[in-house]
Amino acid sequence: MARTLAMFTDVSLCIGCRACQVACKQWNQLAPEEPEWTGTYQNHHHFTDKSYRLVRFFEETDDKGQIKQWHMMSDVCKHCAQAGCLEACPTGAIYRTEYGTVNINQDICNGCRYCVSACPFGVVAFNHDTGTATKCTFCNDRIHNGLGPACAKACPTQSIKFGFRDDLAVVAKKRIDELKTLGYKDAQLYGEDSSGDLGGLNAFFLLLGKPSVYGLPEKPKLPQRNVVVDSLLSIGSALVVALGGLVAFRGRGGQGGA
Amino acid sequence: MEPGLLKSADWPALIDVYFFLGGIAGGAFVIATIANLLDGERYRDVVRIGYYIAFLAVTPGPILLTVDLGVPTRFLHMLMVSKPSLAIGMDAVTVGPFHLKPFSPMNAGAWALLGFSLFAFLAALDVFLEHRGGRSMRTLRVVVGVIGGFFAFFLAAYPGVLLGATARPLFVGAHWLGALFLAVGASTGGAAIALVLSVLGGQRGDALARLMRFTAFALIVQLAALALFVLTVSTTGSAGIARALAQLIAGSYGVPFWLGAVVIGIVVPLALQFAGVVRKTAPAITALMSLLILVGGFAVKYVIIAAGQAT
Repeated sequence: MARTLAMFTDVSLCIGCRACQVACKQWNQLAPEEPEWTGTYQNHHHFTDKSYRLVRFFEETDDKGQIKQWHMMSDVCKHCAQAGCLEACPTGAIYRTEYGTVNINQDICNGCRYCVSACPFGVVAFNHDTGTATKCTFCNDRIHNGLGPACAKACPTQSIKFGFRDDLAVVAKKRIDELKTLGYKDAQLYGEDSSGDLGGLNAFFLLLGKPSVYGLPEKPKLPQRNVVVDSLLSIGSALVVALGGLVAFRGRGGQGGA
Repeated sequence: MEPGLLKSADWPALIDVYFFLGGIAGGAFVIATIANLLDGERYRDVVRIGYYIAFLAVTPGPILLTVDLGVPTRFLHMLMVSKPSLAIGMDAVTVGPFHLKPFSPMNAGAWALLGFSLFAFLAALDVFLEHRGGRSMRTLRVVVGVIGGFFAFFLAAYPGVLLGATARPLFVGAHWLGALFLAVGASTGGAAIALVLSVLGGQRGDALARLMRFTAFALIVQLAALALFVLTVSTTGSAGIARALAQLIAGSYGVPFWLGAVVIGIVVPLALQFAGVVRKTAPAITALMSLLILVGGFAVKYVIIAAGQAT
């Protein structure tokens, strides 16, 4: 495997211009959509089959309901090291590339939509026109030609940085120290730790507050971790039911019950 | 779609119908197998109807699943692709064009559906030939019944495990859905056999009484699994999960949950059974009880999936 590629989004630099969202649409030739009123400048509520990039806006209010701080975060597929969508996919359409990114092979996907409900970040979307699931590929065509994703290229403030994961981790940690000395006590990295949740995220973030401020799960979990326990409980239930059957149908005459 | 991070697969009721029929097929097959193992002669009607129901209930499954796909012509991709990718998940096994992903319940379920369909066909064929006066192939039937029984259990339970392996708030901390779906399969499988027996006649006496006792027992397991599911989800803690659970038991799904899944599907049939109303001589009551169990069995799967997908 080649060195893992990653994206580091520093929300402290984001100005909410949505150039990334536009660049993504242009490069990936994603059709326009009806705008949605979300109550903020954010459009849309969710990632869609035509929006792989989504700048999220959050208004943090104080006790009196006054806006305390305005948060902006350019959100994207996390390309998780342990990816719920990839594990869920029954067809093998979702695969990991040599760069550690997660892609959906559009020629294999049969549109079962299991990945849509298995993503802990609500990234994968179903395209009703093609009948397949779609999401950000980190601009697979561009990165295989050394160009880097369109969103990172377009970002005017370098809030979105793209490169090798180990290099970006160093940059991110330096930036955290910088922000802490500037007084941003709650500044923290989300998904950078490759020994952490989901084996680390290949799109990781620098947040200025708790993940919940940005609508992100504090401890994202790989849904397939449930399979072993759920299966064991099912087997237990099967044994109880089978035993009940043996007792109910055993013996002579009218008696003998469960 | 409501604000929030997660998205839903938005599976239509078609999928619920498949899960329901798959449960009946698995349950009926296992009951027929157990009855056949203990006394194939005495329970001949239970065995025959059980294997017929298993075959008939599983047959629409692949069609329902295929119709729901975004690209129905690619239904075989569930099992095989001509040029598989290399890195497709934990412990994935690729043999030629075929792939098995043990951590993808949908993939494992597709294999189980294929395997079960084969054994359900063989079992139904065997009882059909015997009924038509052919020679009974006892050993073959036992082998088909036992191996098929494992597939049958898998088919009944895997939809619950499949839901549990999503990020939906109602399912992600659940754990008991596979056990619940298996018990529903057993109770609805038993009810389906009992319904046919009580309507068509046949062995109404001892065999039907025993079948109803087993079905009542499966209902108790179902009730326990349902209670454990609600309890486990309610103790998981996060606000989103609490909201999803409230939607199921008190919100817009509260009435079908309590009335359909609990009262009609479990409490009334159990009360009828324990009150001793179900006599050997009252096939109408048995038929009614079986119908209630079937309605409740569909309701419990439908309402859990609907609430889980909506919240």
